[in-house]
Amino acid sequence: MILNKQKVAALLDHLSGARDVFVPATVDGVAKFARYGEGVQPDFGMVNTTMPPKDLLFPQTQKMYHFDVDANGSYRIHEYDESREQVVFGIRPCDMRSIVCMDEVFLTKGFVDEFYANARDKLLTVCVGCAQAAETCFCDSMGVDPQMAPNADVMLQDCGDAYLVLAQTEKGEAEVAEWSAFTEEADAQPVTCDLTLKVDMEGVVDKLEGMYDAPIWDNLSIKCLNCGTCTYVCPTCHCFDISQDMRRKDGIRFRCWDSCMFSEYTMMAGGHNPRPEKLERVRNRFMHKLNFFERRYGMSLCVGCGRCVEKCPVALDITRLIDEIGAYDA
Amino acid sequence: MTAQDIIRTRAKELLESGEVATFIGWEAGRFENQTTPLVITDAADADKLVFNEYCVNTLAKYVRDVIPRGKVGLVVRGCDSRGIIRLVADKVIKREDVYLIGVGCPGIKDRKTGEMLKKCAECRHNNPPEFDEMAGEVAEKPVAVERFAEVAEVEAMAQPDRSRYFESVYAKCIRCYACRDVCPCCTCRECFVDQRRENWVGKQNNVAENRFYGLTRVMHIGDRCIECGECERVCPMDLPLMKLNRKVIQDMNDLFGEFESSLSLEDTTEPLIEYRLDDVEEFM
Repeated sequence: MILNKQKVAALLDHLSGARDVFVPATVDGVAKFARYGEGVQPDFGMVNTTMPPKDLLFPQTQKMYHFDVDANGSYRIHEYDESREQVVFGIRPCDMRSIVCMDEVFLTKGFVDEFYANARDKLLTVCVGCAQAAETCFCDSMGVDPQMAPNADVMLQDCGDAYLVLAQTEKGEAEVAEWSAFTEEADAQPVTCDLTLKVDMEGVVDKLEGMYDAPIWDNLSIKCLNCGTCTYVCPTCHCFDISQDMRRKDGIRFRCWDSCMFSEYTMMAGGHNPRPEKLERVRNRFMHKLNFFERRYGMSLCVGCGRCVEKCPVALDITRLIDEIGAYDA
Repeated sequence: MTAQDIIRTRAKELLESGEVATFIGWEAGRFENQTTPLVITDAADADKLVFNEYCVNTLAKYVRDVIPRGKVGLVVRGCDSRGIIRLVADKVIKREDVYLIGVGCPGIKDRKTGEMLKKCAECRHNNPPEFDEMAGEVAEKPVAVERFAEVAEVEAMAQPDRSRYFESVYAKCIRCYACRDVCPCCTCRECFVDQRRENWVGKQNNVAENRFYGLTRVMHIGDRCIECGECERVCPMDLPLMKLNRKVIQDMNDLFGEFESSLSLEDTTEPLIEYRLDDVEEFM
């Protein structure tokens, strides 16, 4: 089954009737997944959005509950569930892999995060394969196929003028069955996508086990500004902080993105900070991406989308770090 | 000898003689025409140093981090040098803590488009006002674009449009704090946004909190801003931060006379901090 690219706009109009559909678009100068509608022009030629799609499942600020005091002086709690039916149309294979990572974090190992779970249940993922790569793309080195995302509900492989439509889950099959006005029974050949940036991950995970005190962390971290750019543009960084805003006896409790690059991230009550300097913070971030997550979940927490490589103010480049780990001789 | 040759030679000599413990410059990055800051302690690494028209990062802020390792040598253009003057004026470092190799700046280009960076097109001081020695000749003075042109654009807006404009600006902010962390004037030991117990600024990402952060920072660095434009360059959301900084500078010009921060160690006047009996008191 194929979907002609000229029919995509009509399909989006159809989909956005009952649900919020998010598409890659540049809004106010920022490339992100924006709600399809007036003033939002989908751009499926853009390789990667600046902001990842993670906020559809894990918003930067998420209200958890609201509390106040009733006439008898008792506290009352009012829960929030702002999750709703959403479609992400045009998510890339690297970002689909990031959802695999977040699913592991928020849904497995004995604890289900209900805010994430509710949003995840209501999300339909339509992945568009890549026909071209940016110079910073290295997903295939991280085990991602730029034309295939096995966990997407619907996979649209780029074949030039049309997409080859693959329904990959029950949800995806049910969805695609409704698309007959837009699709055609035909076959097409996906184009190949060549990535110029390559890294060799062979042995990197194991090698990092013995590199906690290696000098590369100092060399690397010394130029880091400790801003949160890499963590906020990262599709897999999922750390959050829980806080509250109070007005007299009314308040809301919310969670919001946090960044391990910030000095107050690990600050404990009593004033001890186990990661006091840049070195500890930078080491932690990259160990988490390339080793800790692999040990806990059996996969890398870097999907090779290249956003941090592109956006880091000082060009602190994870691909160069991977090269250095490979070349490191203790 | 090119400026790059001189920088490499002098960095090597300074490290070998022990005159400096670390040397800060730039090295080539992975991609074409990309550079990245380089901090070296070993003279053997001096040949990694580069100087070209793609050295986008300013270097002064790094001095604060490496000063515990001993005296620091670094390459300074106009912006780096003014950053150092700022750090000295703010008593973050002492002048004798650094050895400055000055270099005339040709103006830095965007590595992808080849066009001059916005911050460099706006630059008024490409040669370092403070240095210990120069590597090569001073560069020609740049023809900067009108300093307050962007401010005038915003001021020309009708008030409701201006309000909407700044709302759209701060709706985009993700509070990564890259603008703060790259700024040579942001030298507080603890930033107010990190003071969680006081909770000056809430952690929710919304226009109100983001704007509170942004405007507080603007006022706090107002009379110290060296106009290096790094905050605007590093902003991943492309917020027009220099418009705000220059608005404060323009107001200071109107109130206290023509002003540029951190051009010499002898004159580090801070118009917003310093009180004089003949100051304008337009609201009294």
